[in-house]
Amino acid sequence: MQKNDMPSGALVLLVLRVLRSGPLHGYAIAQRIHTLSSDALRVEEGSLYPALQKILMKGWVTATWGTSETGRKVRFYKLTKDGLKQLDAEAEQYERLTKAIQTVMRTA
Amino acid sequence: MRELLRRLQYLLQRSRRDDELADEMAFHREMAERDGGMPLGNTLRLREESRDAWGLVWLDHLGQDLRYTFRAMRSSPGFTTTAVLVLSIGIGATVAAFSAFNVVALRPLPVTNPDTILRFQRQAPTRSATEIPYDATLFYRDQSRTLSAVLAQTSSRLSLDGSDQAATTSFVTANFFEQLGGRAAVGRVFRVGDQGTTDAPVVVLGYGFWASQFGSDPSVVGRSVRLGGKVVTIIGVAAREFSGLSSGNAPAFWAVLDEHDASRRGVTMWGRLAPGASVQMVEDELSSLAAQLRTLHPTSENTLWEGERLIGSPAGYGEVGSTEMLALVVALVLLIFAVACGNLGSLLLARGAARQREMALRKAIGAGPGRLLRQLLTESFVLAMMGCVGGLVLGSTVLKGIMVWTEAPSWLDPTPDWRVVVFAVTIGVVAAVIFGLAPALHLARRTRATPRGRTFLIGMQVASSCVLLIIAGLLGRALDRAISADPGFEYEQVIVIEPSLIEQGYTADRARVYLQDLRARLVGMAGVENVSVTSSPPLGGTKVMGSLQVDGRTLDVYINQVDQHYLSTMTIPLLRGRHLQADDVTGIVVSESLASRYWPGRDALGQSFGIGEETFTVLGVAGNARSLALGDPDSVELYRLAPAADATSLAMVVRTSTAPDLLYSSVVTAANGVDSNFKPRVVLLRDRFAERVKLAERSAVAVSLLGVIALAVACLGVVGLVAYAVAQRTKEIGIRLSLGAQPRHILGGLSRQFVGTLMGGLVVGVCGAAGVAQLLRRELYGVSTIDPLAYLTAIVIFVVAVCVAGMWPARRALRVDPLVALRTD
Repeated sequence: MQKNDMPSGALVLLVLRVLRSGPLHGYAIAQRIHTLSSDALRVEEGSLYPALQKILMKGWVTATWGTSETGRKVRFYKLTKDGLKQLDAEAEQYERLTKAIQTVMRTA
Repeated sequence: MRELLRRLQYLLQRSRRDDELADEMAFHREMAERDGGMPLGNTLRLREESRDAWGLVWLDHLGQDLRYTFRAMRSSPGFTTTAVLVLSIGIGATVAAFSAFNVVALRPLPVTNPDTILRFQRQAPTRSATEIPYDATLFYRDQSRTLSAVLAQTSSRLSLDGSDQAATTSFVTANFFEQLGGRAAVGRVFRVGDQGTTDAPVVVLGYGFWASQFGSDPSVVGRSVRLGGKVVTIIGVAAREFSGLSSGNAPAFWAVLDEHDASRRGVTMWGRLAPGASVQMVEDELSSLAAQLRTLHPTSENTLWEGERLIGSPAGYGEVGSTEMLALVVALVLLIFAVACGNLGSLLLARGAARQREMALRKAIGAGPGRLLRQLLTESFVLAMMGCVGGLVLGSTVLKGIMVWTEAPSWLDPTPDWRVVVFAVTIGVVAAVIFGLAPALHLARRTRATPRGRTFLIGMQVASSCVLLIIAGLLGRALDRAISADPGFEYEQVIVIEPSLIEQGYTADRARVYLQDLRARLVGMAGVENVSVTSSPPLGGTKVMGSLQVDGRTLDVYINQVDQHYLSTMTIPLLRGRHLQADDVTGIVVSESLASRYWPGRDALGQSFGIGEETFTVLGVAGNARSLALGDPDSVELYRLAPAADATSLAMVVRTSTAPDLLYSSVVTAANGVDSNFKPRVVLLRDRFAERVKLAERSAVAVSLLGVIALAVACLGVVGLVAYAVAQRTKEIGIRLSLGAQPRHILGGLSRQFVGTLMGGLVVGVCGAAGVAQLLRRELYGVSTIDPLAYLTAIVIFVVAVCVAGMWPARRALRVDPLVALRTD
């Protein structure tokens, strides 16, 4: 499977979406994206953590301490109400954008 | 909003959060390894990028820049001290000037609602006056609807029992203190309802007088004193900061104007705008009221003029004096500022060149030009702030010193207020940024600093110092001229008596009697040669003036209202024609300057001359005697007999045959003896002359000081410049020396770089000085604005100083050991 680079801005969208089902720690988020996209999307930790910090600053997630599967103390990220709103807004925007691109591709 | 809070929280917990992140990423790596080979990233860079997400990078950079700046400044103390010193001088001079302006004009007088107070003056097509008849002000007060209050004031010098000095007394309307928000330090101040003519008139003491005369004793309240022949009761002491609406010293006594005073005394009138009224509305209303008053009392002596208007001007702020003096001071201060900035610019440029290596190194590690520029600008900014602080301290101290030196009124407070501080900070930033920007840009972008920038800066300094020195020279010459020149009349043996009869409530007839009495007493005295009267005593403050337009220039005509003995009393020579006789009501004697300018090529005798609505015939031509405007080459005089109605404003001049000090006390006794209620002011004319000269002396000293400071700073700049050039060319000089070049050839080469700039700066400086000198014309006592002696002296001093300054580092260059020079990098 080809490893595709993430279009910028989409990372935030995906992270928020992934967190909608429940709080996860950083590595789990990366794993989840990787799995759900059938290995198509790989998240470099280099892009994940800065993105997480940005989302944290904007208040779309909060971070709490929890224990990982390995018994280690690690930070879990949880979606907030604002984050949910942001997710819906961005998802809608993304859909509109893709539809527009698809239309142009089909008819031009 | 909440985002800001989150950011703030992050800022405060930064190191802990950073550690947590490092921990998290380590965990991520563990898990990745366990699950099989995810690529590792650069931890440090990742952490940096994560930190960047919080958007507080600029804060970090600022902190770094500041720390670096302070370290750099500490490691080159010579540069830092010089730069801060230069900035402090420049900012200090500008701050001192602005602070003075602020205290006098920008800061409102300490009265309530200064913006609604207007001062009124009378104006008609052919004449104007600064005072209004008191009864007219009462009429306006009662009838006006656009003014919510009317205030009036007039001053007198009254005799005070128990003191041989006359006491200045200000007579004011009863609402004066109330309207202006003047408080009492002890006792009470006037209330509406306090009258001036009751059997026990009341007075308020001025604060300064209370301190000096009564030793700040609070028990003076309730005491009675004899003032001006009347027994008055002291009801209180005015607060220290109160001095009414004038910028001068507060009077010794405040008294209430007598509403039933029959004299046609003139008062200074102010009014407070009623809410909703505009200045135009007030002027129109008052002018129509004046016309009404004129028809109501057509036969009164001091009748109001036809078509008279009352003009209002804001009175809540102090006055600045002539715009010309203001422009001059601004020009001089800007020059000092220019010199300081030019110097700063050169310093920064020189320093910049020395730091090229450091900049190259930083660039190699990865700093962008923006980052470097920010760093350099931060340095300029820190320098500016230090210069501001230094400048504020220096400027305030200098201003305090000047105020003490010129004996300014004590209620003026020179401590800098927010306006001055804002001003200082602004110009500091402007100076440092503008003059630091160019060097910073050069440095950051690695462009070569063109010599043009340098030369411009040095040229600017040269020109500014030149102007200052030349102006100082002109003032020095003016001073010399003022002391030695002949003013056209003899002043050493004259005593002036100013009874100010109109302030004492005299009518014209009583005044005539008074003057005759006084004259009789004086004429009989041994040692008195001649006695005369005049409306404008020489070197005094009262002037009756007109203006003439001749050849596009405005001449000030000083109208002296005198008697037939005046010219001989003042030893003003009669050149042609004859003296005024006692019945020459329509005759005038004009000064030579007026005759030659107004009737060029013709004989002035017999010509007609109009003053106001009257016409006069020229009976004689007298020598020039600028008794009222010593230094002004554009002033002319004429003499006419004083009309009977003006007897109340006349002063007496006495010529003595011996030294006037000997007769002084007898004259004082004679003057005091005519009316025991008051003591006229008696002065020796030569004392007044000395005071005038003192002013010229002080200006000359002040500007010379400025000039010397500017020269010193400019020389500093020259030294720096030459030293820098030498440092740059050490290798070249070493080679040339070792090949056998003569030292003077090397010096010649070095100086050739600068001679062009110096010449250019000198030329600009000379032209600039000529321009600025135009503003000084009236104070120069006839010295030409392009007086060659002054210019030449200044230029010579300047050239010598600059050459010496330049030679010093150049000579060090020549003592360079060629071997050392060749090995220098």
